Amino acid sequence: MTPGFSPAPRVVGLALILIGIGATLTSLTISLDQYGRWGARFFPLAGSLALVALGMVELRRAGGPSLDRQHWSAIAGLLALSLAYVWAISVVGYLIATAIAAPLALWIFGVRSALGLSAAVVLCPGIYHLVFFELLGVFPPLGRWFDLLDIIAGY
Amino acid sequence: MDIFPALASVVTDPVLLGWVFLAAIVGMIVGAIPGLTASAAIAMLLPLTFYMEPLPALAFLYVIGKSGRYGGSIAAILFNTPGTAASAATQIDGYPLARQGKASKAMKVATISSVIGDFTGEILLIVGVAWIAAIALKLGPPELFAVYFAAFIVIGSVIGKSITRGLASAALGVLVAMIGLDPISSTERFTFGSFDLTNGISLVPLMIGIFVLGEVFAQIEERGNATEMVRDSDDPAQNGLTWAEYRPCLPHVARSSFIGAFIGMLPGLGSAIAAFVAYGEGKRRATNPAAWGRGSLEGVAAPEAANNAVSGPSMAPLLTLGIPGSTIGAILIGVFLIHGIQIGPTLFLTSRDLVYALFACGLIGIVIYGLIGYYGASIVGRFITRIPTRVLYPLIFLTSFVAAYTSRGNLFDVYVMVVAGFAGWLMRKLDFNPAAFVISFVLTGGAEETFRQALLLSDNGLMIFVTRPVALLFLLVGISVLVARVRSLNRQARAHALGDV
Repeated sequence: MTPGFSPAPRVVGLALILIGIGATLTSLTISLDQYGRWGARFFPLAGSLALVALGMVELRRAGGPSLDRQHWSAIAGLLALSLAYVWAISVVGYLIATAIAAPLALWIFGVRSALGLSAAVVLCPGIYHLVFFELLGVFPPLGRWFDLLDIIAGY
Repeated sequence: MDIFPALASVVTDPVLLGWVFLAAIVGMIVGAIPGLTASAAIAMLLPLTFYMEPLPALAFLYVIGKSGRYGGSIAAILFNTPGTAASAATQIDGYPLARQGKASKAMKVATISSVIGDFTGEILLIVGVAWIAAIALKLGPPELFAVYFAAFIVIGSVIGKSITRGLASAALGVLVAMIGLDPISSTERFTFGSFDLTNGISLVPLMIGIFVLGEVFAQIEERGNATEMVRDSDDPAQNGLTWAEYRPCLPHVARSSFIGAFIGMLPGLGSAIAAFVAYGEGKRRATNPAAWGRGSLEGVAAPEAANNAVSGPSMAPLLTLGIPGSTIGAILIGVFLIHGIQIGPTLFLTSRDLVYALFACGLIGIVIYGLIGYYGASIVGRFITRIPTRVLYPLIFLTSFVAAYTSRGNLFDVYVMVVAGFAGWLMRKLDFNPAAFVISFVLTGGAEETFRQALLLSDNGLMIFVTRPVALLFLLVGISVLVARVRSLNRQARAHALGDV
């Protein structure tokens, strides 16, 4: 552990200041209470101003080591898959969305076996559905456009 | 002594014992998998416990936390990769011992020391917690706010290598906790006109994102790094542990247990700091300090005892003040809340039996993971080398989505989890402090409530915090910790720069 050498101080400092200024301006729009006091504004303002101050401290630091960007494409892929997966659950339901997301997640982590990926299409949605929505009794997220459960379970 | 009836009731409940046994195994395995932590496992399993009775739910997660702390030593000794941050200190001497063919001997020392440390911490918790709660009942809003303030500063500045980024993590946690309706005036804050945001950000998806999905993102960068286990020697003398070999470790274990227990009581410091402080202190007092770092059994015993002694006392601020001392404590708040149990000083008035039964489960959990670890740590190690991470992490990825949904049956929570997961990865990458972020998020509600109550009580506005001696003391503690940490890091940076020159 090398003290005082965290990466990208300028970018981080600038980001903290921008978030802090945005949050400060938003905090000032929070309504006062019925007696005209700042009650609900104190903490948001304290957090926002603290971010601005800490951002300024970061900006004063000398340059740190550069970030390792070797795997950023895979990270971006997984983030895109994550967002697409939640959206897919909302439109085609849990079973179909998981049947698509499971092999893609395995692929991103390096699984290339056709048999393994095919098995994931069936097993992952099946097992998760059984454990969470049948055994635990959680009501499953149904798709707005279409849901397989409409056909196989009569939802 | 409430603990004896509690122990009697727990040992006669086979279902509860089954959950404790399962938790000991799950925690050990999760702690031993490099990259996965007990916090991640607990966050992921938390929604499942919503469907359980309060005591089995709490005991299951509490024992996973204990066993997970110990499990980190398996990875540190057998794989030369610390399973948890705390076990990095164990690795310094544990791995050289394994390379000498003494992996089993090192594991036995780690197991016995962990058990002694954990028992010490748990017993101190049992003896002291009701006393602390009685004192906490006498604290008013100004004093409680000062405690929260000190906790924010300690959590933000002490963990991690950047003070500014640690404090920024805490400030970000405060801001995220502000989203939703103000609990006193029902004023909307940071909702930006979104109906979903008026309910605020839920703790469970936030934690699953930060600790579980964030780790999945981080593991993408580790793809292809295979875990290799050091093989045991065939010589029984190399693998067994004699009393003569362990006896020199005992003074280190006793000292480290108290170091760990003391550090555990302070919010936010945690196992890693305890382990390194105990290692440093042990080496300073050792009869042969030159042997430390080259495969000394005492060098394994000291950090392991301290690391595990943190577990019990870290529950003290949570149970007595409602202030989580660790990420595991922050997660357990979710279980208390979902079962309608109010934590804080009144917990010992309203749910005394439950609290002592939880402590009893902790003691039994220590015995169980001790026995499994003493006789089966190498089996657990071999099992872990057979788990392909390229399959494990996609499965954890899928589980995090369904777990986040399960907490409230709401897809908005799953979006929150995804955003928190990416933010968690980014925080790790940029040396921010995810634990400080989450603990601050949890602390903010109580801190704001006590702050505003104190102002209502005050005739002189903010002066109430400096005119009340106990409040002033805690404010000064927070500021002193910050100043000491800044000076310590500056000294290290100067020494590092001189070394470079």
